[in-house]
Amino acid sequence: MALRPLFASLWRLLCSLKLAIVLAAAVTLLGIGGSLAMHFNPGVFGDLDRMILGRWWSTAGSSAPLLSWWVPVGALLLVLLGLNTFCCFLDWARRIRYRWRKCGEYLIHLGFVLVLLAYFWGSVAGFRSEGNRLFVGQTLPLPSLPGHFLRLEAFEPIFAENGRPVDMLSTVALLHGDNVLTRQIVRTNTPLTWKGLAVLPGSFGRTVEGFFVHIAGVGRVSLSSGTELSLPDGLRLRVLNFTADARRLAGGRIARGSGEPRSPAFELELSRRDGSIWRGWYLFAEGPPSPLTEAGLLLRPIEPLYRPYSILTINGDPGASLALIGGLAMLAGVLLALVSFYYKRGRGDRPEVW
Amino acid sequence: MISADQSPLLVAAFAAYLASTLFYLLHLVLRRRLLWRFAFFLVVTAFALQSVCLAERWLAAGYLPVTNLFATQFFFSWALAATYLYFEIRYRIHAAGLFVIFLNLLLLTSALPRDPVIPPLIPALDTPLFTLHIFFSFVGYAFFAMAFSLAVLYLVQRRLATDLLPPLPLLRQLNEEAIFLGFCLFTLCLIFGSIWAYVAWGYYFSWNIKGVWSFLVWIFYAGMCHAKFVRRWQGTGYAWLSVAGFGVVLFTYLGIGLLLSSNHPLN
Repeated sequence: MALRPLFASLWRLLCSLKLAIVLAAAVTLLGIGGSLAMHFNPGVFGDLDRMILGRWWSTAGSSAPLLSWWVPVGALLLVLLGLNTFCCFLDWARRIRYRWRKCGEYLIHLGFVLVLLAYFWGSVAGFRSEGNRLFVGQTLPLPSLPGHFLRLEAFEPIFAENGRPVDMLSTVALLHGDNVLTRQIVRTNTPLTWKGLAVLPGSFGRTVEGFFVHIAGVGRVSLSSGTELSLPDGLRLRVLNFTADARRLAGGRIARGSGEPRSPAFELELSRRDGSIWRGWYLFAEGPPSPLTEAGLLLRPIEPLYRPYSILTINGDPGASLALIGGLAMLAGVLLALVSFYYKRGRGDRPEVW
Repeated sequence: MISADQSPLLVAAFAAYLASTLFYLLHLVLRRRLLWRFAFFLVVTAFALQSVCLAERWLAAGYLPVTNLFATQFFFSWALAATYLYFEIRYRIHAAGLFVIFLNLLLLTSALPRDPVIPPLIPALDTPLFTLHIFFSFVGYAFFAMAFSLAVLYLVQRRLATDLLPPLPLLRQLNEEAIFLGFCLFTLCLIFGSIWAYVAWGYYFSWNIKGVWSFLVWIFYAGMCHAKFVRRWQGTGYAWLSVAGFGVVLFTYLGIGLLLSSNHPLN
């Protein structure tokens, strides 16, 4: 029997307006101090947007407790504020017959609770991954979603007239095994979204995978690793390897440098009509090797053959849809609250706004 | 000094705001209806000129140009004038809104020497969500500035009890209204900003200092929307909260934008 008044007191406390004000004030003051600590300590807080909050806390946050203590304390205050807001909402809902005119205000309450819930959910169960480099045709397994893969089907960077990159169009397919779950052209402000997964353009780049050359009697051809050409006079040319930055060491061995086209070179195999085969390196900087010129094969390098790649950001947030519902509830709540406010004003009531 | 590339419309608007301030001050001393009417006419004229200038810039850019310090000052000034007109037309607050006009002049004084050139739009900003986000952000800020102005007047009136200012109950009511409307508009700003952040970067809340302070502004004013029901906080306490709240707003807009590095740079 003694539990009933205790429960009533607890319920009154949880629905208390003053508790809401105290918690909001505490969050504000804590956030002011904490945000400044955050700004001036990028070594601890710099990766907060690169990973979910839970992962950040288990790595960087917990290793610097003197600087980051305010984050869990703030989270606790927000949980209490969320609980207080939800109890206020329930208290209103059970009296909705008399207080329906406050629909807007309490939709804002509900929306706030949903957004808070969604954020905590995403902070524990989500993931963030930047810098995923994909070439066209390449498939990337998603470790956070076992059995799921991302395939880049096409990629086109868009440039302004002055050469400034303005957008990146990546046609991306999300696969589960061999089944395509969804396909989307991912570009700025247009991510691929699927059940909390968001795939966004991050950046792009290109690698040199070969060279366009002019061959006398044949014309312009592209050569890259694996290319095979049948040439006049029964010659066959096969490209065994291409390296964008080659250097000949003592003894004739070839060392590979960076991926930049500083000193391109092909490793070639030339089969002659008499069945003899020559294999060797053609370093552009050294000029064509004598077996090529002796066979009458004149290769003139024209320009590098680039292969573009897209760099994608892949984030997962299971609470994203809930957050959107919360946001829409708040949006509807604000609009209703404004309508209610001006309706009362129109009737000459004192503009009691809350 | 005014930038040579500055729009004549904006210079004219500035002159009209300046003149209206002088007439409002005269009205405050002489209490002549004609002075107030002329001052009001000048504010309306200045606002119309500024609106045309804003529309011109919008059309020329193809997007709402609020992407650097000049443009944000210009737009904030426009939002302040709109807020002032809202209260003036509905409540005839006259010189009680002078702080907002002063702030408006201060913003334009700082904006006029700056280069008004419209920078090329970063692709991520090319979305209606960005337009909605900044529109509601600055209109919300403007209402918070008006609340600050009314709160200061409340505190002055409480001390002086002068006929020159509106009565305390009206000042309190208007302060509460400004906070409520500012909170509603700022909520819309955060909703659109969060959706935009999600489609642009894949998360709807950023731990950047601007993001954190925007949330703090929201939670502070959410608390204020509740505080007016607590007897101890009504009137004077509420007025002090409005003053403190505007401090948080100013730091969020100017302090972070100019003094600290954030994902909302002003320079």
